[in-house]
Amino acid sequence: MTKIFTHDDLIRYVYDETTIEENRLIEKALAFDNALLEQYQELQGLKEQLDGSMLAPSEKAVNAILEYSKDFNLHPVKD
Amino acid sequence: MNSQKTKLDDSQLVNQYINGNEVAFEQLVIRHKSRIFSTIYMIVKDQYVAEDLMQEVFIKAIRTLKSGRYNEEGKFLPWILRIAHNLAIDNFRKNKRYPTIVMDDGNSVFETLEFAEGSFEDAQMKKDMHKSLRKLIQELPDAQKEVLIMRHFMDMSFKEISDQTGVSINTALGRMRYALINLRKKMQQYNIAYDQNFYS
Repeated sequence: MTKIFTHDDLIRYVYDETTIEENRLIEKALAFDNALLEQYQELQGLKEQLDGSMLAPSEKAVNAILEYSKDFNLHPVKD
Repeated sequence: MNSQKTKLDDSQLVNQYINGNEVAFEQLVIRHKSRIFSTIYMIVKDQYVAEDLMQEVFIKAIRTLKSGRYNEEGKFLPWILRIAHNLAIDNFRKNKRYPTIVMDDGNSVFETLEFAEGSFEDAQMKKDMHKSLRKLIQELPDAQKEVLIMRHFMDMSFKEISDQTGVSINTALGRMRYALINLRKKMQQYNIAYDQNFYS
């Protein structure tokens, strides 16, 4: 019997939270079920866009952190 | 000859840093700065506050690591993201009555922000689209936004989200589902470019 996969199953799959066995079954289903494949592609596309929407802090902020770490060796601050 | 370098994992870098290797720490910062900064920014919505808080997060991390109080059993990224999330939430709560929000609306300091990915000829188009996407995330209902930030930006599992928020795994999954569906709807509604081949 073919298992029916839900949107939630696909979300877990896209976020690497499915088991190896589930992966095998989902990948098999994706090969035959166009509607499921379309849902998967939409989810994957959105996930990639969310990845792209991440921001990076300024170089100045990063340098301040690195400098703090180096100085901490010389003048350790006690909590 | 195989010239490919082996990439050290976080745990190895942390150990090297504890043993005095500052370059290892620099690699950790470079590897995770975008995820940590984005997590804070999604909550406080102000670039300058987010940068201050990010520095505070790393100061706490540096002190813990160098004083030998770091628990090696835990993973570095979830640990530092928890610190970031807690500080951002504290800051948000403190300033809730008189919020100083710099909106991500295209006419503020965000023009100067660097993007996590590299530059392309169509960088401006991508920049606009990602800016719109961040704005749409802010429009989501709080419960959906919380799960989206925890799952996508903080890389927490649905089980961890369930434990932290006190809802079932199915509820967390359902909130994530609605968050993604709503984002898609809003993107279509505002006609935000969506091309799956854009990144290929």
